[in-house]
Amino acid sequence: MTCLEGPHSNQGPDKSCGPMAPEEELVSSSQLEEEEEENEEEEEDLDPDLAPDLEEGVDEEEEDLGDPAILSAVTNTQRGLPSSPGIKASGALGMSPASLHFLWQTLDYLSPVPFRPTHPSTSSPVRHFGPRLLPPDPYVFCSPPTSWSPRFSHLTQLHPQHQRILQLQQHSRTPRSPAKKPWSRQSDAYANLMTRKEKDWVIKVQMVQLQSEKPCLDDYYYQNYYQKLEKKEADQELLGQRSKVESLKLVTPYIQKAEAYESVVRFEGSLGQVAMSTCFSPRRAIDAVPHGTPEPEIGAASSQRLRVLSWIEKMFLQLLEIEEGKKNGPPQSCYSEQQRNQVEKLFQALKTQEQSNLEETADGFLQVLSVRKGKALVARLLPFLPRDLAVSLLLAVIHHLPLLVKRDAADQVLQMLFKPLGKYISHLTFHELLQGLQGLMLLPPGSSERPVTVVLQNQFGISLLYALLSHGAKLVSLDPSLEEPSSDHTAWTDIVILIAWEIAQMPTASLAEPLTFPSNLLPLFCRHVDKQLVQQLEATMQLAWIY
Amino acid sequence: MAALSQLKMNYMPGTASLIEDIDKKHLVLLRDGRTLIGFLRSIDQFANLVLHQTVERIHVGKKYGDIPRGIFVVRGENVVLLGEIDLEKESDTPLQQVSIEEILEEQRVEQQTKLENEKIKVQALKDRGLSIPRADTLDEY
Repeated sequence: MTCLEGPHSNQGPDKSCGPMAPEEELVSSSQLEEEEEENEEEEEDLDPDLAPDLEEGVDEEEEDLGDPAILSAVTNTQRGLPSSPGIKASGALGMSPASLHFLWQTLDYLSPVPFRPTHPSTSSPVRHFGPRLLPPDPYVFCSPPTSWSPRFSHLTQLHPQHQRILQLQQHSRTPRSPAKKPWSRQSDAYANLMTRKEKDWVIKVQMVQLQSEKPCLDDYYYQNYYQKLEKKEADQELLGQRSKVESLKLVTPYIQKAEAYESVVRFEGSLGQVAMSTCFSPRRAIDAVPHGTPEPEIGAASSQRLRVLSWIEKMFLQLLEIEEGKKNGPPQSCYSEQQRNQVEKLFQALKTQEQSNLEETADGFLQVLSVRKGKALVARLLPFLPRDLAVSLLLAVIHHLPLLVKRDAADQVLQMLFKPLGKYISHLTFHELLQGLQGLMLLPPGSSERPVTVVLQNQFGISLLYALLSHGAKLVSLDPSLEEPSSDHTAWTDIVILIAWEIAQMPTASLAEPLTFPSNLLPLFCRHVDKQLVQQLEATMQLAWIY
Repeated sequence: MAALSQLKMNYMPGTASLIEDIDKKHLVLLRDGRTLIGFLRSIDQFANLVLHQTVERIHVGKKYGDIPRGIFVVRGENVVLLGEIDLEKESDTPLQQVSIEEILEEQRVEQQTKLENEKIKVQALKDRGLSIPRADTLDEY
């Protein structure tokens, strides 16, 4: 019990027991944080009730405090509400922010004195352990700012009528200010029953509940919102709106947790447990640990679906870790060894899903892709994958394209895969391309419709198909050896003719609009297909592709 | 000065806190329907309140009556809402203050008429074969 109790014990008997009690337990939780020497120095500084101490301290540190009259007015009428002794302490000691987080350095409640780090030797750059401070400007005291902002932070959203009323109040009060004190008609004899320490304690308790080691995850929305706000303000400042408006940010403290203790003690050979109570928990119930009960067999289909969904969630968490690593780490495209391992592991997880059979492997991948979140997962994972793995994914997608299209009928979100996959199309070899496309051309037994018709009716499908054809055309044009009559070449021409025929066959209405329309498609069709068909194709494709 | 109160800081920007409301006059509405008016002297993390020079205000129609109650400690969970009272505008009200006895009498009368109306309604429904169960007599399953 070294830390904050130091100042109290030195005070002697006049210090009330009230504030001590709540502080005791908090102190022990913080003793890991505190360093002894810092506490010694703070003893005088932290005590809010020694007004004379403060006055001198304030004079030393707060050089920019223009009017001593203000200060005396403050201290005289609000005894016990000192003007930020804590700030002075921080300036004097130059403590590390981590310990500052725990110490009570919050500002004065009613009459904050602006703080400016005046001593370059002693002050560390102003750390924001609590709210950020508005930059000090003595002239602010005299006149209300032109763009009057609400008294609270940017997040206090008042009804416009409410805001107007407050504004009127402010403006109507300013002319009267030199004449009378604004905050009390007659001196309130019962004011400040709740001392500063107590107020700080309440705030601290509330802050402790907010603490987290990774605010970017736990408090994602606020952190992102604040980043956007800061960026906007920085932009505004650059553009010339010179008034540097700094909006306050809520900074949650990081307080190291107290050591875990055994609240339940077991004796050898005893039948029960003895609950040991401490000041942290006066009583703790016997541990009721839920043991893993075997899941009831719901139904093969639904349980399978649930398994896929939970699998996707696990993979997503891994993906988020990888993205986080990329975001925080150096901004280069080469990944660290650890990252590469993570990506590999994730890819394996994606592919295998704990299934041994190769047939089922592809099936597992398909199941993941059938879920909207699974598609998002794959789309976000693709940029991280090494080329060969990405290409294998691409081939799997092409192979199962009709099935994917059918399953996507409800969600219609396959499009998100187009951009990441499209990048890897150019890495396909001619042979791989042929194989993929041939699969689409095969007539399945018992059906007169080729899989490609379904593909053509879907936006993602048709875009992918066009991209593949374009790539094939490019390969053919680049490599003269492919022009020679060979099984590959015939296969290619067959595919092109078939696709052209299918497109022509399809009514324009059902032909989907592709996301991109490669320019070498029409020439490709011209080469292999007769004129009449080409004209028909042109008409169909132009109509379908509305520009 | 005025500007000092303007620069009032919020410790936890973006959150609501009762810290700034300390030592100000508040109107507190409780879950049991009572209205308390008093100076907020102390709070804690559960928003338990300590009200000083508290007055319980009973409203009946356009009249109200104040019963002085002294110091109240209100458990936080029983508060519906509370709001600061502007001391300057406090007297600017169309309502008429009456004595305690009068307002209690008014309240009793109001309660009585309400009960009677309720009885008539229930009787009318019963005549038509309908019954609306009262909330306090509902069986809980």
